[in-house]
Order: sequence, then C-alpha cells, then structure tokens
Amino acid sequence: MNTAIDSGYNFAYLDEQTKRMIRRALLKAVAIPGYQVPFGGREMPMPYGWGTGGMQLTASVLGADDTLKVIDQGADDTTNAVSIRAFFERVAGVETTTATAQASVIQTRHRIPEKTLRADQILIFQVPIPEPLRFIEPSEEETRVMHALEEYGVMHVKLYEDIAHHGHIATTYAYPVKVDGRYVMDPSPIPKFDNPKLHMSEALMLFGAGREKRLYAIPPHTRVESLDFEDHPFEIQAWDEPCAICGATDSYLDEVIIDDQGARMFVCSDTDYCNSRSEEKA
Amino acid sequence: MNMTQQTSEAVRPHDWPGLADPVHDSQRLFRQLLGAMSEPGTLTELVLPELPTGAAISPAAWGALLALCDLDTRVWVDQGLARANLAAALAFHTGARLTDDPAQADFALVTPDTLSREDGFALGSDAWPDRSTTLIVMVEALAQGDDWWLSGPGVPGERGLALGNAERALPLMRVLAANRAHFPRGLDAFISSEMRLTAIARSTRLAGPGLAATDDAEHQEETA
Repeated sequence: MNTAIDSGYNFAYLDEQTKRMIRRALLKAVAIPGYQVPFGGREMPMPYGWGTGGMQLTASVLGADDTLKVIDQGADDTTNAVSIRAFFERVAGVETTTATAQASVIQTRHRIPEKTLRADQILIFQVPIPEPLRFIEPSEEETRVMHALEEYGVMHVKLYEDIAHHGHIATTYAYPVKVDGRYVMDPSPIPKFDNPKLHMSEALMLFGAGREKRLYAIPPHTRVESLDFEDHPFEIQAWDEPCAICGATDSYLDEVIIDDQGARMFVCSDTDYCNSRSEEKA
Repeated sequence: MNMTQQTSEAVRPHDWPGLADPVHDSQRLFRQLLGAMSEPGTLTELVLPELPTGAAISPAAWGALLALCDLDTRVWVDQGLARANLAAALAFHTGARLTDDPAQADFALVTPDTLSREDGFALGSDAWPDRSTTLIVMVEALAQGDDWWLSGPGVPGERGLALGNAERALPLMRVLAANRAHFPRGLDAFISSEMRLTAIARSTRLAGPGLAATDDAEHQEETA
C-alpha cells in the first residue's frame, strides 16, 4: 500500500458517517435488485456529470488492500478516468491498475470491460439519469408509482415507436433492462452491446447517480433481460471489420476519423483489452 | 472491582469490544456483509474480539452492528438478547438509539423464536421498499447443509443451508419465505452464529420443510 496519502482527508475522502449511510443503502439495493435507493448524496470536489455518484460508491466500498481501475468509455487514459484514479491514489493511497484482471474494484463510465469479470470483483457504474421511465414520465412521483405497480407497458410503447419510425429498435445505449423479472432498470449509458454482460454476471454491479442521489445494484447470478418484442428480438451491435489495432472481432469498436478526407478506422473502445491482445501478438 | 466476579449487569459498555481501527475495520466488515447479501447463503467469518461474559448475541452480529449503526439508526432488541448491558454498549460504541416499536427499527436483533411472537417489523412500502427493518438473527448453528434451499439473485442454481434444529429455525424461515409474496416489500436478514454469518435477501426464494412450495416456476426454469 502506498503510504503517501493526503492526510488532510479521511480515508477515501468521505467521512465515516456518510460511508455508513451509503453502505446501508447499498445493502438494500442488493436485496432489491434494480430498485433505486435514495441516498444523501454529498458534494464531491468535482462537478455533477463527472462521476460523483460512482465516486461516492467507490469511496464507501474501497479498502486499503483494494486495487482500483477506472475507465471512461472503455479507456483508462481519458481525462475522467485519469482524474478519478489520481483522486483515489491521493485520498486513499490504494493501488491502481489499468489491467482488468488485476483490479478488485472497477469504476466505469459507460462501458463494461470486455474481459469477463470474476466473483471477487465489483463493478461500479457512473449513472447520469437513473430513472429509465424519466423520458416518458417527467414526474418522479409518477415514476415511483409506476415502479411500485410494475406499470411498465409504456416502456414497450417507446420501443415500438422506434420500430414504427425506423423499422427497428433504434435505442443503442442505456437500453432498458428488466432485473430478476421485476424492476425495469437503466443500465447507465453503456452500449447495448454490453447488456448481455449484465445477465448472470459473476461480479457484483453497483450503480451510483450523484446528481439524482440514487443508487441501485445487480447482484451476481441475477437474470437481466433487455426489453424487446418476439418479432423484434434484442440484438447487439456488429461491425463488418475487426479492430484495426488488435484484430478483435468480439469487442465493442469505436469509429475514429483519421484524416480530413473522411477516412476512418475502427478500434476497440476497451483500451486494456486492445493493448493486452496487441502485446500477446507481438 | 474484580473483573472476574462481575455479574452481567455489572458489565460496562466499554467492556464490549469496539473496532481497533474504526475506518478500515468497518470497511472490512462492510465488504463481508455486502458479499453475504450479494450471494445469499454463502458463509463468511467476521473476525472480532471476544464479547463480554453473559453476552447473548454473537460476535458476528456485534460486528454487523458496529459496521452499520450510528446515530441515524434505530435498533430493536429482543429482551432475551439484551444481556450484559448490550443497550448501553450499543449506544456507547455506535450512538444508535434503541426503539420499543419494531415498525420503527432499522435493525432488529432477534432469534427465530422472536419471529413467532413479534410480527410488527417494517416491510417498507411498494413505493419505498427500502424503508424496512433488517433482521440480525442469532441461530444455534450455521453451516452449509440440505435443510433449507436458497435460489434467486446471487445464487447460481441452488445453495443449501442448515441452521441447527430445523423446527426451531422454522419461524424465521417462514417469515423470510413470505417475502416473495409481498416483494418488493420485505425483510432482509443477516443470520449469525458465533463468528459465522450469512444473509438471506428478500429477493431470495426459499424451500424447506414446512415452507409452502415456491410458485416462481419461471425462475426455477432459468437457473435449472
């Protein structure tokens, strides 16, 4: 363990009573999979929208012997990921890594790592808008009643409107799921490519929304179904070409424009997956 | 006063062990509790110093209280478990308040027998199922076994538990099995014996002698 911790703060920044409040909420979230538990969100030293919800969960879960990985859209080296990793190095002194397999806690913005997660790992999602029904029903009071009554028909209407307009379900990220046959849940803006990884995962998955002050969870080995229709079954994205760097055909690819003539390439969004594959080949 | 000659009434609050390193010990205990609730029926050992003579709760239950309670929580304690000055010790170490009203309790210290007498614990509401009581249960023994079968979230296939005498554990298991009928309202339980602890979440399906058969056929199919 790195002992050069910033001693002006409690371990992992949050005070102990805040951590306990979040921990109690997390236990409820795990016991009621997919249900959004309110928590007393604290102001973090960064603006809303940068992962304050995920950070508060990470701070409450993290221990001195944990190894932390932070990804932003799959990448370990983008501003958001680098900043959050540096933050926890400074206030908790924990080991950090970019290797998915070596991490015990992974905080993520909008991706699930390609490498299958293990039972001893916890994945913590940053969530902008936790309520999957929000774009259909703006009232929090109403959506709460809809969840209570399991009144989810309107969600299928939204997907049906996609089909009516576009001929297919055009929702490609934050694709709604049903958890353990009960709660409809927003999996955060992960591409729908990642939705199947939520189903029967070995790893515990926690979701934190800082601005909305809600957290929720999917325990390991839990049924997670993406909503669909019999004649329009759920499908994930596919690409015609492999990753231009590592040649992967089984990972989520980002489109990168490489010159001003419109030429482009497709590369893995998961940088650790891409790097480790490239190293193996070299 | 000679320590060895104390009666249980003379146990002082600070005779109960606190956490030597409050920040990291409570984090370690919480991760064990989180792991237990995420994977119902798995066993974990909460390592804690010995409790004072006369204490009627398990060290694991005491560990859960130390990790989770503070001045924001209300605790209901079965009178049979309130030995060795437990109430004062809990207030001293955590600041938690005791309540006589089970419906107000965030946590309740109980035995399976308590649940055959007391049924007023908070289940939460359909809109706010999180406003419920979490049970911390003392059982005579806790091991993997084939008396009680758990399935559902956190359980690949099925997981078997034995809680000592099945007849005596039945009031507890009846209450927890009833969770399915009024889900998402319900009671979550940490179940402990000595240092050993497991959890049964309200999402857990239970089967065992004396319990009504589960009607959750869809789930059985999925995990079979």
